[in-house]
Amino acid sequence: SQSSEKHLGQFYTLPSAHFRPLFPHGLPYRYQQQVKTFNEACFMVRPPALEVISYLKKADYSKPALRYLFYGVKGSGKTMSLCHAVHFCYTQGWVVLHIPDAHLWVKNCKELLPSSYNSARFDQPLQATTWLRNFRTTNEHLLSQIKTKRRYVWTKRESTDEGRPLGELVNQGISRVKSSSDVVGALMKDLRLQSSQPGADFRLVVAVDGVNALWGRSTIKKENKSVDLEELTLIHNLKKLMKNDWTGGAIITTLSQTGSLYTPKSAYLPQELLGETGFDSMDPFIPVSVPNYSEKEFESAYLYYLDRKWLQHPQSRTEDGKKELSFLSSKNPSMLDRICGFL
Amino acid sequence: MESTAKKRRCSFNKDWETTYHWVKPVQGDSQRVFCEVCQSSFSVSHGAPERSGREFGSRKPRREEGEPRTEKMPLDQDWTAVYPAATPFRAGSVPLPVRMGYPMKGGVPPEKKGNLELIKIPNFLHLTPAAIKKHCEALKPFCTEWPSALDTDAKCDEHFPIKVECTDYVSSGLSVRNPSARIVQLKVKLSILNLDDHARKKMLKLVGERYCKDTDVLTITTDSCPLRQQNYDYAQYLLTVLYHESWKTEAWEAEKTVADMEEYSWEGSPSQKNIMDMLLRMKVAGEGEGEEVQEQLLARSEVQEYKDSVTRLKNEGDNESSVLQYKEAVKKVFNL
Repeated sequence: SQSSEKHLGQFYTLPSAHFRPLFPHGLPYRYQQQVKTFNEACFMVRPPALEVISYLKKADYSKPALRYLFYGVKGSGKTMSLCHAVHFCYTQGWVVLHIPDAHLWVKNCKELLPSSYNSARFDQPLQATTWLRNFRTTNEHLLSQIKTKRRYVWTKRESTDEGRPLGELVNQGISRVKSSSDVVGALMKDLRLQSSQPGADFRLVVAVDGVNALWGRSTIKKENKSVDLEELTLIHNLKKLMKNDWTGGAIITTLSQTGSLYTPKSAYLPQELLGETGFDSMDPFIPVSVPNYSEKEFESAYLYYLDRKWLQHPQSRTEDGKKELSFLSSKNPSMLDRICGFL
Repeated sequence: MESTAKKRRCSFNKDWETTYHWVKPVQGDSQRVFCEVCQSSFSVSHGAPERSGREFGSRKPRREEGEPRTEKMPLDQDWTAVYPAATPFRAGSVPLPVRMGYPMKGGVPPEKKGNLELIKIPNFLHLTPAAIKKHCEALKPFCTEWPSALDTDAKCDEHFPIKVECTDYVSSGLSVRNPSARIVQLKVKLSILNLDDHARKKMLKLVGERYCKDTDVLTITTDSCPLRQQNYDYAQYLLTVLYHESWKTEAWEAEKTVADMEEYSWEGSPSQKNIMDMLLRMKVAGEGEGEEVQEQLLARSEVQEYKDSVTRLKNEGDNESSVLQYKEAVKKVFNL
């Protein structure tokens, strides 16, 4: 994509060929509805995403993976910035490991099985299978090219040999629900090892939304005892990915208070949401602030809504109406979206 | 006219008006009469009005209330005479248009006349500055002069670093004694005491809530003994003991963990390990393991900056500027 400084504040449309495979999950719900209504996916080019994209362009991929963290108040556009950066990586042909919301993995778990690989841990088959399906949709074209590096044994009769395409591994996980969490873990490990190899022909981008879930608390209960996060296979493997001991890729994350458990509503700064352990694990990382819309960006968003005939109320077209919208939403992207939904 | 063997219901009789001058007929209902004294009507179907004995001249007619005192108050009056002592709020004596209470729908808080909310709460109308002045004037003969040499706060702190505060209570009642008079408050600035680093940290941990960081004042309040003399001695004893104990180092203090530390120290923290790891892997300082490489890395300015920013983040907590500083430092380390 041709995003650069010149295009700050302007919208660029995602080609629909990219949209379907890239974002089966990961976009905010309201935005997905908007895409359906307007029949096009438009991202606003904003400084935080541009900054991260510029770092991605400049970075040296023989060095350990850099970690970027989007933080900001609720509704300021962190997930959207993440998706923008992920789209950039996708156009460059990277393998996209996008976890839409890490909070979903630590709460409301309907099925919890003891792990087959490590008896102390717990598996979450449903979440793992949904995620594997989405992963397959996103990386369809690359999965056939990358081969596994090791042999994985699932049960006495099933195993995946070395040198088989990764696509087979993923299919294995989707069909055999019981071992899906272990497949996820194996996939992560494999990708991590492979992209670190000097001769690797692909790069890996790990995008996690709501990364503070990894070091928070969980509400999943096993026989009335709250499950510790370390005991969940998915979380354990994801934490291993977060460590920057691999090269040839980048880790882009966002903080999210909205889904997080046991955090106050006003918390949005990195240390507040990550906690001591989270910060120490993510350290050193590059925190990127995602503020509310600036004047120019607000104008741009307003004109976009006008252009798509989203604002029907006659008064919304006046100068006064615009000032009112700016004041009511205090230039917060999601608030603006919600208010305009009524007009 | 009363008759116990009546078989019919009574109704209004004109003669009653002459006998009882407070009786008036009620229109539309001959079975009821209207009493002018209590401004209400009652039924007479069971007999003559004099049955309700309470009406029969036993009630004095209610007199008119005069205008409130507030109307007659001159502007330069002596307020201390209106409220010489602590009394409940009197709407007629306070010339202020005070309103208090919950405003009902579309209304305003109720006015002061007959307002129970204003009467319930304690008021300090008897303690206006003029009244305080009068109290001070009355107490002056019993006081001594403030020493003229102690005219600034700094001088007072210098000569009298320990300040002891006790309160005396005066009341008129069955007994002059007041149990609250035994409380003694001892205030001292920690900068006066000769404490080294370890002693200061230990002292702060020992006293806990009693220390105010902004003014550097340690406040010891004692009220466990029944007499003021005893409490004062106890407070002095506590101060001495705190001082001596904080200088001693116990064997178990060696088990102090990271969680006990008051401030964040970067050396030996996971953050240092992380960055060292990273830099080694990035092979920034060239090949070779060992201590010199580590020291070389530490001496680099980016690493120093990074260390400062992390220490600031951890000690101060989060705020926009410290996070930005951290970001700049990390960017420099990665050469972005």
